[in-house]
Amino acid sequence: MERLATAWAIFQGLLIEALPFLLIGVGIASLARWLAPGGAWLRKLPRDPLLGPLTGAALGFALPACECGNVPVARRLLAGGAPLGTALGFLFAAPVLNPIVLASTWAAFPNQPWLLAARPAGALLLALLLASVLRLLPETALLDPVLLEERRLSQPLAAVGLLERRTGLVGAVSPPPLPAKPTRPPLQEVLQHGSREFLDLAALLVLGCIIAAAVQTLLPRSWLLAVGEAPTLSVLSLMLLAVVVSVCSSVDAFLALGFAAQVTPGALLAFLVLGPVVDLKLLGLFRVLLQPRAIAITAAAATVAVLVLGQWVNLVLL
Amino acid sequence: MRALALALWGAVLLGSTLSGRLDLLLNGVFHPLVGLSGVALLVLAGLVLKADRDLAIGPGRRPSTPRSAQLAIGLSIAIALLVLAIPPNPSFSDLAANRPAELGEEAELSFVLPPAQRTLTDWVRLLRSQPDPSLYAGDPVRISGFVWPQDNDQPQLARLLVRCCLADATPVGLPVRWPAGQKPRADQWLAVQGTMAMEEHNGQARSVVMAEQIRPIPRPRRPLEP
Repeated sequence: MERLATAWAIFQGLLIEALPFLLIGVGIASLARWLAPGGAWLRKLPRDPLLGPLTGAALGFALPACECGNVPVARRLLAGGAPLGTALGFLFAAPVLNPIVLASTWAAFPNQPWLLAARPAGALLLALLLASVLRLLPETALLDPVLLEERRLSQPLAAVGLLERRTGLVGAVSPPPLPAKPTRPPLQEVLQHGSREFLDLAALLVLGCIIAAAVQTLLPRSWLLAVGEAPTLSVLSLMLLAVVVSVCSSVDAFLALGFAAQVTPGALLAFLVLGPVVDLKLLGLFRVLLQPRAIAITAAAATVAVLVLGQWVNLVLL
Repeated sequence: MRALALALWGAVLLGSTLSGRLDLLLNGVFHPLVGLSGVALLVLAGLVLKADRDLAIGPGRRPSTPRSAQLAIGLSIAIALLVLAIPPNPSFSDLAANRPAELGEEAELSFVLPPAQRTLTDWVRLLRSQPDPSLYAGDPVRISGFVWPQDNDQPQLARLLVRCCLADATPVGLPVRWPAGQKPRADQWLAVQGTMAMEEHNGQARSVVMAEQIRPIPRPRRPLEP
């Protein structure tokens, strides 16, 4: 019974902490929808496999949010027809590459300057890798069907594969895309859309927080940290901790500070790089963007990449 | 229904801020953000309600809500009502037991309060930055905290440090020699007066509080330390 009460309190803590950030994210996405209707600028973002994700990652500096706030913004980018690589680069890198997170990392580890460079660099590498891996899947296997439908509406017909088209003349030369005449949606519609999006995401966030709170209460954290000194095990155990604890990327550096003395540097970096991309709370939120298979691939690829990164850092620094 | 769900989330956030519930859940820096978000959600709920009314009066059929969205709204309403109805009441010793106790090396402290004014956290920080028990032997101690049972030792008096939310709570505890015959109950909040002393523990000297006066206290309004 006491365990249940503790899990309930952790659940409330995680949820109440995350909801404001979710609201900020939905707010940014709605504002973008209102200010730049039709999102013509989104389609002008670079499509290059390297430049695209880099641009997406750089967008993080303009739209500072932690990982929960990022999901609605990334969804808006994809629905507006932004190139896949750019949107994925933003989704995976922006939770670390933004001023708030970098400042909190610096505040937590002023005496470890290497971490201040290694965290954003690691996050960027991971985002590039994940974006390149996920681009191998066709969009139909990658994106959530509802999102895909919205995305098709904002793409010129010529960009949509023949078998995916629902309209148009087969065989005929597709007419040049009509000059875009985006009209600013009425404020009321933006509000309705934003509120719907917030509630959808809140429901998924609730599920993620329930899982995270249950796992945290049932799994003694001493197990996770008992293996602190062994290089590989320490990396693995901190990765597991990052996935389970699911705290916001804007404050996870302070949490890492709590056990920085006991674990290897590679493990510390692995915690700070993996947490913002894969955690139990996020797995629910990702459902509005990606299909389950794509989420599984993301989790697997991120795990392998971060493990290698952590090992390499240990090799160099230990 | 959508307006109701938004209003309930707003009530959860604003209510938690005003009732002081957040003191038990989050680090203080986030409290204003949570309160403002609550207000924003309540305003949003009002606007959505007004828009729904306008739509109902106007001509034409109302757009139907898809099933998944209905589910999401239902879940939101149910969970928000539960959160409003059942306040958090965590077991602090349970939270502490599942966490790594180490704070890591503390940098040299810029200033130190006189012994009798130090809180439990001040003492732990001081002992971490200058871990020489002979420096403190005989100092008066006046601290409060909850009772944190240990596996192979007497229960410690402890506090929880929270940087973000309860999920990252880290315990800091001081070893206490309780008066003979007194066995404090786990999770109980106590104010302890006594003196610092030195003792051998696992072959190493450490500082320990010799408790002289013990008084049960209610859980403080702000039980978490930043």
